[in-house]
Amino acid sequence: MTVASQVKQTLASLKGAQATLELYAKQTVIEQEQMAFAGSVEKISGIIHMLEQRISAMEFEEPQYKGF
Amino acid sequence: MSDWVTIIIRSILMYCIVVFLLRVVGRKQTSQMTFSDFVVGITIGAIAALISLNIIHNLAYGLIGLAVWLLLPVLTNYLALKSKAFHDLLYGRQTVLIQHGKVMEDNVKEMKMTAEELLAQLRRKNVFNIADVEFALMESSGDVSVLLKPEKTPITPKQMEWQVAQTANPQTVILDGNIIDESLRNQGLTRNWLSTELEKAGVTVENVFIGQVDASGDLYLDLFDDAIQLPKPTTKALLYATLKKCEADLESYALATNDQVARKNYQEAADLLLTTLAELRPILKR
Repeated sequence: MTVASQVKQTLASLKGAQATLELYAKQTVIEQEQMAFAGSVEKISGIIHMLEQRISAMEFEEPQYKGF
Repeated sequence: MSDWVTIIIRSILMYCIVVFLLRVVGRKQTSQMTFSDFVVGITIGAIAALISLNIIHNLAYGLIGLAVWLLLPVLTNYLALKSKAFHDLLYGRQTVLIQHGKVMEDNVKEMKMTAEELLAQLRRKNVFNIADVEFALMESSGDVSVLLKPEKTPITPKQMEWQVAQTANPQTVILDGNIIDESLRNQGLTRNWLSTELEKAGVTVENVFIGQVDASGDLYLDLFDDAIQLPKPTTKALLYATLKKCEADLESYALATNDQVARKNYQEAADLLLTTLAELRPILKR
């Protein structure tokens, strides 16, 4: 497994976790929890953005692994 | 009119008066009754019994006596509410039995308690060692209240400086196979959501004895058919584990890469995720 594909996997699981957090943010009735969930969703979206940029940089550097 | 008819009529009358008037007067629970309440209750009962059995021939006299015994407690209760001194006079005051860990022998004697009884009362409060007690009171009702020494009191999350999640009371959405729409609405959920959740668990509504939704929307089900093993709601624990794994991944990428900018980015992302995990921990690991 190449590094790029590992990073992609991490990206995928982060996206999944973010979606679950978003779901909880919608479901909970406690305002404090809602804020905590929403805040973490925001933070994780920043990380996701960074990872996506990194992946495209890696694919640019090593186009032979593109798509893996 | 023969005697037995009189007795039946009087008994029914007394029953109605005593039951309904006592409702209006507002008796406390038996466990909260003071000695004077107790005496008043017995006297009212006795008068009612005497009237109903036609032992007091003159109904008016009997009712007057009953009225006085019913109204006086109302009056004294009212005065006790208004005046602290009167309240103390009527119900007695609480007495300090143990202060600063020392038994106040005079007060204990005054309460007509032996040392053995004091120990028994403390044991009832799960205190077996008198050295653990900082302060103990005998309430006017005769109960003993105990304050333990700080080092013997149970630890609270606040003392440990633990973050704990706020909880709201869970809503019971299914009872005995019936969906309770009101509690669903309280939680902002719909029947649609519930049927999806039930489908996920693979059970029908008819098979659910109790279904509860906690504050964050996890559904707990208890089935009639206990042979069916239901998956426990583990989404939160899984979520926490996933985030933790992502954090570890990011850190390992930071170590593996040679690109300085990427390393810095990875490290920052890992730190950010770590703080997020710390925030979510009390909620997800409840």
